[in-house]
Amino acid sequence: MALLDVADIETYYGESHVLEGVSLSVERGDVVALMGRNGVGKTTTLRSILQLTPPRSGSVTYDGTDLVGRRTHEVAAMGVGWIPEDRRIFTQLSVAENLRVSVPDGDDAAEALSIAFETFPILEQRRDQAAGTLSGGQQQMLALGRGLVGDNDLLLVDEPSEGLAPQIVADVADALAAAASETTMLLVEQNLPLALDLADRFYVLDNGRVVDEGDADAVSADDDRLRRYLSA
Amino acid sequence: MTLALELAQQALLQAGFVDGLAEFARPGTFAEVVLRGLSKAAIYVMIAAGLTLIFGLLGVLNFAHGALTMIGAYLGGLVMVLTVAQGTGPWARLALFFVAMAVVFGLLSALGGSIEVRLIRPLYDRPPIYQILLTFGVTLVLEELARIVVGFYGLQPLAEWQAALGTIPAFLETSQSLGPVSVRGLALFEIFLGALTVAAIWGFLTRTRYGLFIRAGSEDSEMAEALGIDVRRVFTVVFALGAGVAGVAGTLLMWDPVWGASVPLAAESLLPAFVVVIIGGLGTFRGTVVGGLIVGLVDATTTWWFQNVAVTWTWLPEVAIFMILVVALIVRPQGIYGVEEVGGH
Amino acid sequence: MYLVVVGLLAIYPAIYHLLTQSPLGEVAVTVLPRMETMVAVLYFSLFAMSFDFISGYTGYLSFGHAAFYGTGAYTVLLIANGKVPLLGPETPFLVALVVGAVLATVLAVVIGLVSFRLTGVYFAMITLGFAQVLYVFVRDWDYVGSNPRDGIALSGARGFELGVPYVDQLTVALGTLTGDTLALAGHTLGTTTVSFYAVGVVVLLCFAAMQRILHSPFGRVMVAIRENEERAEAIGYDTFRYKLGAFAISGFFGGVAGGLLAGFKRSVTPESGFYFLTSGDALLASIIGGFGTLAGPLWGHLFDETVREFLSKRGQGGGLLPYLEQTLSEEFLTTELVGGLTVEGFITAALNGHASLYVGIVFVLFVLYVPDGIVGTVRSRLGGRVARRLPERLWGER
Repeated sequence: MALLDVADIETYYGESHVLEGVSLSVERGDVVALMGRNGVGKTTTLRSILQLTPPRSGSVTYDGTDLVGRRTHEVAAMGVGWIPEDRRIFTQLSVAENLRVSVPDGDDAAEALSIAFETFPILEQRRDQAAGTLSGGQQQMLALGRGLVGDNDLLLVDEPSEGLAPQIVADVADALAAAASETTMLLVEQNLPLALDLADRFYVLDNGRVVDEGDADAVSADDDRLRRYLSA
Repeated sequence: MTLALELAQQALLQAGFVDGLAEFARPGTFAEVVLRGLSKAAIYVMIAAGLTLIFGLLGVLNFAHGALTMIGAYLGGLVMVLTVAQGTGPWARLALFFVAMAVVFGLLSALGGSIEVRLIRPLYDRPPIYQILLTFGVTLVLEELARIVVGFYGLQPLAEWQAALGTIPAFLETSQSLGPVSVRGLALFEIFLGALTVAAIWGFLTRTRYGLFIRAGSEDSEMAEALGIDVRRVFTVVFALGAGVAGVAGTLLMWDPVWGASVPLAAESLLPAFVVVIIGGLGTFRGTVVGGLIVGLVDATTTWWFQNVAVTWTWLPEVAIFMILVVALIVRPQGIYGVEEVGGH
Repeated sequence: MYLVVVGLLAIYPAIYHLLTQSPLGEVAVTVLPRMETMVAVLYFSLFAMSFDFISGYTGYLSFGHAAFYGTGAYTVLLIANGKVPLLGPETPFLVALVVGAVLATVLAVVIGLVSFRLTGVYFAMITLGFAQVLYVFVRDWDYVGSNPRDGIALSGARGFELGVPYVDQLTVALGTLTGDTLALAGHTLGTTTVSFYAVGVVVLLCFAAMQRILHSPFGRVMVAIRENEERAEAIGYDTFRYKLGAFAISGFFGGVAGGLLAGFKRSVTPESGFYFLTSGDALLASIIGGFGTLAGPLWGHLFDETVREFLSKRGQGGGLLPYLEQTLSEEFLTTELVGGLTVEGFITAALNGHASLYVGIVFVLFVLYVPDGIVGTVRSRLGGRVARRLPERLWGER
């Protein structure tokens, strides 16, 4: 059984119908890329899984439990981590404090933090620095690190390479690969080569529906099939 | 305009002005004014601390804060009046005061928590103005309830509660000398208690896991929720805490003859608390401490000038605090440590 | 719609007169607000409307609005007491009223120039700060009268005359004691009733003017500012000017309302004029009546005053307490509840003058369950053209 099974969810923002029946599934250990143009509902899909913007209908089954109707912090406590667009780190908290926020109750904080520090040594050097003073790439690592220390089985990663300089994108790609080796990942990414390089499977979203899916190995970044949906 | 000119002339003509300046600059006098300023600052910080905690996390400007302070003053006074007898010694009175503070903190935290759960929680998905309006309504209700109860027991709701004032230990009531400076014992006690409160809240915010959650939630509550924090529960705890701190401040005010336990204390304490919180930058605890210090020191200075140089502007000390507010907002609209977005509508 | 409302208000004195003389008299006296209260409802509603004009329509909460009310009232009384240079005590009331309103407008421009650099809570607080400075100033400024803390009153036993200046036939004197009576078709209208109509005409004119402005292009920009100020600015509107203009207009009508208060009551206190709780009452009226509806504050304040009077203990005004004391039996009243607390004692303790408690509870219930207020809810039920689901859009999405 898949770790995450999203079945026919419909989500609204106020009156606007954003997701018109999205279904997808993520196998344990896989990296699944979710692709599509801006505004087709990729971020909303992640928010619907987390119950930040609960779907009006459909189901989200994670590890055998339906998440619809649960509160977001419960979903997070079940092992779903979110690395959102714009990273949303706590700028006034130190690096270590940022990580500590996501350590589950009862876990040993020092031990949990060491996982993040092993993957991203730069964070250990900056551990007492206010997170707002980090560079963009470092902030992205911190956001990923926050996902790692949370003892998560599934990471929902949203546009990790957005707004970063090309060299730093390479660093982030390494960081994502490192994170992906630890957990399962649903990755929203506009950078097609990066996404296909990391992913095992992919879904393409357009106008709130899944319009294509397949194995990442079977397509290349300049595939006509993908370009049709992804170029503006 | 002519009137303002006239007033200015009058003040300049007063021979006392220059003498006043010389007297003010004397080390002894200056130290005294600073001490008085610190004691006022301690009070301002205490009445504003809860307000800023609540605003920082929940984004609710709690209009009921002053009413909670007022209730705290009456409850604290009640504990003191019931337990202190004629012959109770000063140290025992002081000990009882801390008991009263603890009782009030507990009761008001419970009250604050239930207000948040029952009344404010249903409004979080509405525009923020509704939460402000709701707390405004709560103030009306709480104040009127206090009026009913206080009146029922034969107390004059508008006047300070003398019996509660009378429970103060003798050594706080008299002047104490510190080197060349002589200052009321109560002022020193207020400084002590203010520092204690600041240290306790600061420690709670920076050294405990819950404090970490509060600071994270104040910055981005949705993200904190997505990291596994039950933000709704943290909201309740913070509202309860803020109410509890308001009550503790009230307990202290019940001993201070300048304030005293009375129903109008609600508005009298709410307005300066607003000013302090706004000057410091809404929702930042550090800003509130600094804002309190500024307001306290300016207040003490203007009061001294009024009393000693007989400035003709009798209204000066009373408006000083609002003048600071207006000037501060003109100079630095988002407050000393404020972030601009917080105030946006 | 508005005609019906105006009509209803216009025949209120007759209804009140009839009902209180009818067999239902006792109940009517208990439930209905007195004529004197109704006059106060009218002028205070105008103040609340001026508050709603700026706060409800541009989204900027003017929490120091009492400053304009107080300025209007103080100006009228100071002129009448001969304390204002160039304008002697003989200045017609209407002129004084306009002078007060103009001063309030100037004050609004001054406060607005500084305050509109801020938004949200900060705007509300800085306007509050200005009003409080004025409040303390007026309270301690002994030029206004010998005892500034108690406010000022019109010297001598005269009253204000409202009407077209220098035309006697079109002028009536205001006030319960000093006002004119009017003989009309065989009936004599009492002093308060005459004042009711005179004040009512002014309030109606002001309401119509504000309504007209709100439905003009200017008003549409005000709403655009409330909905999304950045967008309004991007389209090319100088929003600062519009906000300042709207604030000045609202200051003007707030000043008129204050002048009417002075005209009818012949006195004003710093508390009734400048204190922040006066602004709070306007807020109360606006929320209960309907925020951003302009007419709503009238209903909100009428409701507020009715409840207050119903629960107060003034003998001649009726109210619940005297009614209960008359109606319930002596035996029941002296029944002991707990610990020496009799029914009468309980009723007195819980009701006597404690209307704020019940008004506060109603207010909280409105915020929780009727966020659109009376008028807003009625309009959206009826699908009115003006204010469909206004309050939701009011303060933007959170």
